[in-house]
Formats: sequence, C-alpha cells, structure tokens
Amino acid sequence: MAKKMLFIDTSLCTGCRACSVACKAWNELPAEKTRRLTSYQSQDRTTPTTWTYVSFHEIYEDGKMKWLMYKHQCYHCGEPACMKACSSDAIYKEEEGYVLIDHDKCIGCGYCVANCPWNVPKVDNTIKKARKCTGCIDRIKNGLLPACVATCQTGALSFGDRDEMMEKAKARLAEVKEKHPKANLYGDQFMGGTTYLYLLLDDPEVYGVPAKPSAPVSLTLWKDIIHPLGGIAAGAAGAVVVLGVLANALRGNYSKRLRDNAGVSSQSDGEGR
Amino acid sequence: MDPKVDKKEVYRFSLMERIAHGTHGIAFVVLLFTGLAMILTSFQPAMKILGGINVTRDIHHIGGAVAVAIVVVGFVLEPKFRGWITYSLKFNKNDFEHIKGFPVELLGGHSPYPPQGRFNGGEKMNILLMFVSCVVIAITGFIIWFPAVFPQWLVQWSYPAHSGFALLLAAVFLMHFYLGVLHPDSNRALKGVITGWVSAKFAREHYQQWYDEVAEKEPERIREVK
Repeated sequence: MAKKMLFIDTSLCTGCRACSVACKAWNELPAEKTRRLTSYQSQDRTTPTTWTYVSFHEIYEDGKMKWLMYKHQCYHCGEPACMKACSSDAIYKEEEGYVLIDHDKCIGCGYCVANCPWNVPKVDNTIKKARKCTGCIDRIKNGLLPACVATCQTGALSFGDRDEMMEKAKARLAEVKEKHPKANLYGDQFMGGTTYLYLLLDDPEVYGVPAKPSAPVSLTLWKDIIHPLGGIAAGAAGAVVVLGVLANALRGNYSKRLRDNAGVSSQSDGEGR
Repeated sequence: MDPKVDKKEVYRFSLMERIAHGTHGIAFVVLLFTGLAMILTSFQPAMKILGGINVTRDIHHIGGAVAVAIVVVGFVLEPKFRGWITYSLKFNKNDFEHIKGFPVELLGGHSPYPPQGRFNGGEKMNILLMFVSCVVIAITGFIIWFPAVFPQWLVQWSYPAHSGFALLLAAVFLMHFYLGVLHPDSNRALKGVITGWVSAKFAREHYQQWYDEVAEKEPERIREVK
C-alpha cells in the first residue's frame, strides 16, 4: 500500500472531541476521570488509554477571544525517535508510514516516552507495555477510514494517499493565508516527515508544540556513538584477556606457577620472578 | 632480599574491606548482566532463566538500590574502605611509571617500575574508574527508574551516561577479572580479597613501598607459613 497521510485542518476544528470518543470506542479504551483544565479543555496529555485529545487555546485579539484547536496524537514520524530509542526492537514502521509498537516485544522500559519530541507514547503500568495511537492500522488495512476521521463532522480531518493529501493541504493553506497570514503547515519538514500533517492558523508555539521538533542529541550520542564504542571497548578488553592467557601459557608462566604452588622453588631471575 | 620472605604472608585487607569488595563485585556482575538484558535484544531470551524480563528488571532496580546502600554503609563503617578512594586520588609519577609498563605485565612479561604503595598505579586507575563510573551510574540509574519525577532532558541524557559508563566498566571488569583470577602472577592477589592474607613475596614485588612500611611499623601483620 502507498504511503498514507492524515490531514488535520485546525481551521475547521470546533473542538467537539468526537475524534477522542471515536478513538476510545474503536480501540476499546476505557474512559478516564478528567478534570477541567481551562474553560473547556479536560485533558492535556496522552495517557495509556487516551490516544488522542483536543487542546483549546484561547487567543485574545482586539478585545475579542478566538479559539485555536489542536488535536494531539502520535504523529507517526518518517524517522521516529521512539523507534531508535526502543530497547527491544519492539517499535516498527508499516509501509503506509505508521509507527507501531509490538506488544510481544515491548518490555515497558519507557525509553520511547522520554525520547518522543511530543511525549506521545505512555507506559501502561498494569500491563507494563507502552501504548499510543496506532493510526487505526487495522481499519486502514481493511479499507476503512481511521476512527477519528470517520467520525469528524466538520471536515477538519481527512485521510488519503500522502501525495494527494499534501496537495490538498497546500491548496487549503493558500486559501486560509488570506485571512490568517501566519498560517502554516506543520509536520512535513521534520522527523523525516510525519504521517499526520497539520494546518495551523498561528505559530506552533501558540499551540504549545515545538516549532522544530527533533530527535534528542542525547539519543544520537547514545545509540550511534556510545553503544558502538562501548562494544568495541568491551570487545578489545575481551581480546586482551584471551591474548594475555595465551601469552602467559606460551611463556610457561602457568606451569611455573603450578610448580611454585607444589612448593618446588622456581628459578629466580633475580627479582624473585 | 630476605630468603625467608618466600615463607611469609602479609595481612592486606580487613574483614570489612573484603565484605565490601565482595558484595560490590557480586552486585556488579548481577547488575551488568540484568542491565545488558534490557539493552541487547539478543540477550533477552537468556533472561527467561530469571523468570522473564520483568523479573530481570526488578532485580536490576532493587539490586541497584541494595548495591548502593551496601557500598555506602561500607564507606561509613570502614575508614580503610574509604581509603581505597582517597589513596587512589593521590596519583603521582610513580603510578604513571607503573601504568607505562602495564602492557608488558599484562602479557606475562616483566617491565621494571618504581616501588609502589598500598595500591599500585594500575589498581589506582581501576579504583578511580570504578568509583567515578559507579557514582554516575547510580545517580542516572535512579533518574531512569523514576523518569516522571525528573525533567525530560535529564532523563534523556541519563540514558547515554548510564550505559556508556556501564560499558566502560564492563571492559574494566574484564581486565580486573583477568588480572585477579586468570593472570598466573597477579592472581596471587585473589587470596587477599578472600582471606585477607597475601604472600609476602607477591606483596614485595607489587607493593614494595607498602610492604616495607608494614614490615617496619606493623610487623604483627606479617606471619610465617609452613
């Protein structure tokens, strides 16, 4: 199957949160006790059983308030930091571009949680596995729309082939720019290009997401430099041990030691050796 | 050289020192192997012996906490064990001279070096590497254990620090095991960390300065063996 894309046109989002409910319904995720964070927002992070939620940003301009909406979920990166950080090769990519966690391999170490630029995956402590949005890969593989897209009433969410969606996003951006000069596309320029692409009406920071998300430097240092170097160091030490034992055997040091132990005085080289 | 030295032994390590060294060693091996299981996927099937990866991780976490506690207690109770570190920090020219000849010694030859103190240059290096790395590993390990409590950047940097120093220590440990157990000359030291006594001949060869000092000031620490 070709690469897919999910386009999130935040200019059309009304914050009804039907996407969040549809996600829970399809993926059989139990409801959670929430609390009011701002006037309408009740969640501000993904959890092991909440894979998508909407954040409400109240912007005041000329004495008037306007809403900016942002649907959060896994971005399904082209170059996922979580996949690189995974200790158990449990995170893999589907050909459609989706990043998935194999629960048979996941050990719940939480390395993906700490290394995701958006903090998306979360470890479920009851099953000791990391969980996050699957992009409804089971629906997509069977020709259905992702649950959130299927339920979206305003047309803020659309799904299709990557190229088609890219074109649609660019066309929509040109339209929106007339009224919102700061409008921009968010997702195609970092992390190897994400599968979820946003049309934002303002800068990413206004929505509380990083403008230039990237894999942490510490992750590159860890996986690309320290691990290979550490392997070489341990390997070299192992080689010296083997070499040392061989050299000692060849020099007859072991048999000399055995003679010493048996109480036969050894020939001294003047230094007692 | 005193011909009788062949038949003598010198008391090198106190009981507390031996216990602290031994528990640290056991903890190190347990933590290294249970830690490797969480980083090398090829290692994970082997962890079925312990009861699966979750048990392995619990052993790693609790074992780490216990190891830190033991070493700290050893530090508080036994000034001589503290002395391992403080003495090793006094690194001087003699120690460098000893390390210079090290590769030859390692391969079973002999390269002359100036008389060494209680710990020789190579041992000082081993102790210092161990100490610095263990402090880093213990702190970062705690951060990785409870990531929710710490800022994200600190958790992120703890990963390379924790596994980097652990891998360095794996190399150091291999050398230490080789010299202490496999090397036909230097493994005479093994008796010292088990019973406390080492052969006087060995002590003179490897720590002449220390041996002479003991012989002069605390002759009761030297005994004859039949």
